[in-house]
Amino acid sequence: MKPTAPIKLVSELLDLPIRDRDGRECGIVDDIEFEGGPGKTTAIKALLVGPGAYERRMPGWLFACVRMVAGDRITRVPLQEIETIRSIVTLKCTATEVGLHRVENRVRRWIPRKGAL
Amino acid sequence: MNPLELTLGVMTAVGGFVDISELVFASKAGSTFGYALIWAFAFSTVGIIVFSEMAGRVAAIAKQPVFNLIRHRVGLKLGLVTLMASLLSTLITCAAEVGGMGLILHYLTGAPYLLMATLSTLAVGGSMWVLPFKWIERIYGLLGLLMLVFAASLIAIHPPWDRVAGGFVPQVPHGLSTKELLNFAYFGVAILSAVMFPYEAYFYSSGGIEEEWGPKDLLTNRVTSIVGMALGSLLAIAILANSAQLFGPANVGPELPGSTAMQAAIPLGGTGLLLALLGMLFAVAGAAVETCMANAYSIAQFFGWEWGRHKKPWDAPRFTLAWIILLLLSLALVLTGIDALTLVEYAVLFSILVLPLTYLPLMLLAGDRKYMGDYANGLLAKSLGWLYFGIVTAAAVAAIPLYVITSGGQG
Amino acid sequence: MWRWRLAIVLLITGCSKGPEADLPSISGARSLAAEWAMVNEQAASGHLTAIYVSTMRTSARQHLQTTLSALTQPKSPYGNEIRALVAEPADALPQKLRAHADRLKQIEDSLESA
Repeated sequence: MKPTAPIKLVSELLDLPIRDRDGRECGIVDDIEFEGGPGKTTAIKALLVGPGAYERRMPGWLFACVRMVAGDRITRVPLQEIETIRSIVTLKCTATEVGLHRVENRVRRWIPRKGAL
Repeated sequence: MNPLELTLGVMTAVGGFVDISELVFASKAGSTFGYALIWAFAFSTVGIIVFSEMAGRVAAIAKQPVFNLIRHRVGLKLGLVTLMASLLSTLITCAAEVGGMGLILHYLTGAPYLLMATLSTLAVGGSMWVLPFKWIERIYGLLGLLMLVFAASLIAIHPPWDRVAGGFVPQVPHGLSTKELLNFAYFGVAILSAVMFPYEAYFYSSGGIEEEWGPKDLLTNRVTSIVGMALGSLLAIAILANSAQLFGPANVGPELPGSTAMQAAIPLGGTGLLLALLGMLFAVAGAAVETCMANAYSIAQFFGWEWGRHKKPWDAPRFTLAWIILLLLSLALVLTGIDALTLVEYAVLFSILVLPLTYLPLMLLAGDRKYMGDYANGLLAKSLGWLYFGIVTAAAVAAIPLYVITSGGQG
Repeated sequence: MWRWRLAIVLLITGCSKGPEADLPSISGARSLAAEWAMVNEQAASGHLTAIYVSTMRTSARQHLQTTLSALTQPKSPYGNEIRALVAEPADALPQKLRAHADRLKQIEDSLESA
C-alpha cells in the first residue's frame, strides 16, 4: 500500500514496526501527526516515534512513569520518507537520516566488539 | 526438508518441555496420582503444538514475531500490560531455571549451590554472546537429548504398560476426597501452564524469523512443532510414569529436585544417574537461554529495536543489553536465597495468568487473511485454537484460588 | 460477593495454626525421609556417585531442619518424629528412615481424615 492511499489509521498504521531502506528495525509507529483542520482535508504529515509520543495514548500517571524510565523524546518521520505501508512501514531513507537510531548508537558504544562468532 | 531444521523444534521442545518446572511437576504428579495425569500432559501438548505451529506460520508468512503482533493487535496500553505480565512471569521462570542449573551442578560436583548458579549463569551468558543463534540451538538441543535416559529407564523398569496407556485417556481418579480433587485440579492447571509457557511461543516465532523462514519452510514448521513438542511431551510423560512406578509406592513426593535423577539410577546404575543429571542440566540450561532470550525478544520487538542473535551483539546493542540485564536479574533473584522450587511454583502460577493475553493476538493474526493470505488458519487450527484459548482462560481464572486452597499442591 | 469469599479463604489459610496448618510440612517431611531412605538404599547398591549421595543427604537434612522450624506445633507427635529423623546419622539404615516416613504418613492420613 502507498502512504497516500486511504487507510484506517488506528487499526492499520498505529503500532506498526518501522524498517529503514537497509532492512534495519528502527522503532514502532507510536503516534501520527496530521495536517489540516476543521473544514479542511486531513492528511498524515509525519509518523511520531519515541516514548514522548505515548503521551496522548495513556493516562497521565502512566506516562509519568514511562518518562522517568525512558525519557520523552519524539522523532518525526516525514510522510515523504515512507516507501510503503504493509505489515511493516518501510522507509525510503536510512534510520540515521531521520534521527531514528540515536539511542541504539549511544548504547552501541557500551557493547564490546569482540568474542562473538 | 533440512534435518537440521528439526533441532529448532527439538531444542524448544526439550528445553521448553523438560525444564525445571516440567521435572518438578511431572515427578510430583506421578508420585501423587499415579498415571492419572498423563492425559494432562498429552492434552496440553496438543495445545502448545497448535500455538507453536501458528507462531511459526506467522513468522514465515507475515514475517512478524509474536510481540510485534501483540502490540499492533491490542494497542499500546493493553500491549504494555501484556508485556509487563509476560516479562515478570518469564523472568521468574528464568530465575527458576538458573536455580535449577545451580542445584544440578551442586549434585554433580558438590560445590556450593549459589556458586554453581553464578558460574553456570556466566557460562550460559558467555555462550549466548559467543555463539550465533543456530549454534545455541544445536548445542543445548542435542545435549538436552541426554534426557532420553528417562525413557530408557521407563522401559527398563517394566511398568504396567496397560495402565500407562490408560493414563492417556482423560480421567479423574475414583474415590478422591474434596481436598484430593482440588489438588488434582491444581496439578492439571499447573501442567497446562508448565507445558504451554508463553515464552515458548515468543522464542519459537522469533527463532523462525532468526532462521529467515518463508513459505517454503511451512512443512518444516509443521513437522518441528509436532515432532519436537511430541518428543518433549513423551520425555515428561516418561518422568511421570517413572515417578508413578518408583516414587509413589515409596512415599516419595519428591521434595528434592535431585531425586528425579534416581529414576535413571535405580534401573541403570551410576551411568544412568550421570546421564540423567547431565541431561537435566542441559535441558534446564537450554530453558534458561530460551526464557532470557524470549524476554529480550519481547522488549525489543515491542519497542521496535534491532534484535536477534543472527546479528553480532554490537549490531543489536539494546537487545544485547536487555538479555544481559535480564540474565543478571534472574541470577540476583536466585542469590536472594529464594528456594528454587518456590520460584518454580510462582513461575507456573504467573504464566497461566498471562497465557490468554499471549494466545489471543496470535489466534487473531494467524486467522487474518489480510496478513496470512491463503495460509490463514483452516478449520482445524481455528477450532483447536479457540478450544484451547477457552481452556487456558478458564485455567487462568482458577489458578490462584486453587493455589491458595491446596497450598501449592501440597494438599 | 466472590471477593469476600476469597478473602475469607485467604484469611483462614493464612491465620490457621495447629495440625491442619502443619499438614504441608508433615507431607514434605514424609517425602524427605523417603527420599533419604532411597538415596541410602541406592548408595548401598553402588548406583550413585559419592558426591550425589553426600549432597542429597545434606539437602534432605537441611530441608527437614527448615520444616521443623516452620511447624506451628513443634512439640506435637509429628514434631517429635521429625526431630528424631533429623537426629539420624547421614548413613542411617534405609529401613529406619522408611519407618519414620511411614509414621509421618500415618499422622498425615489421620489428620486428613479428621
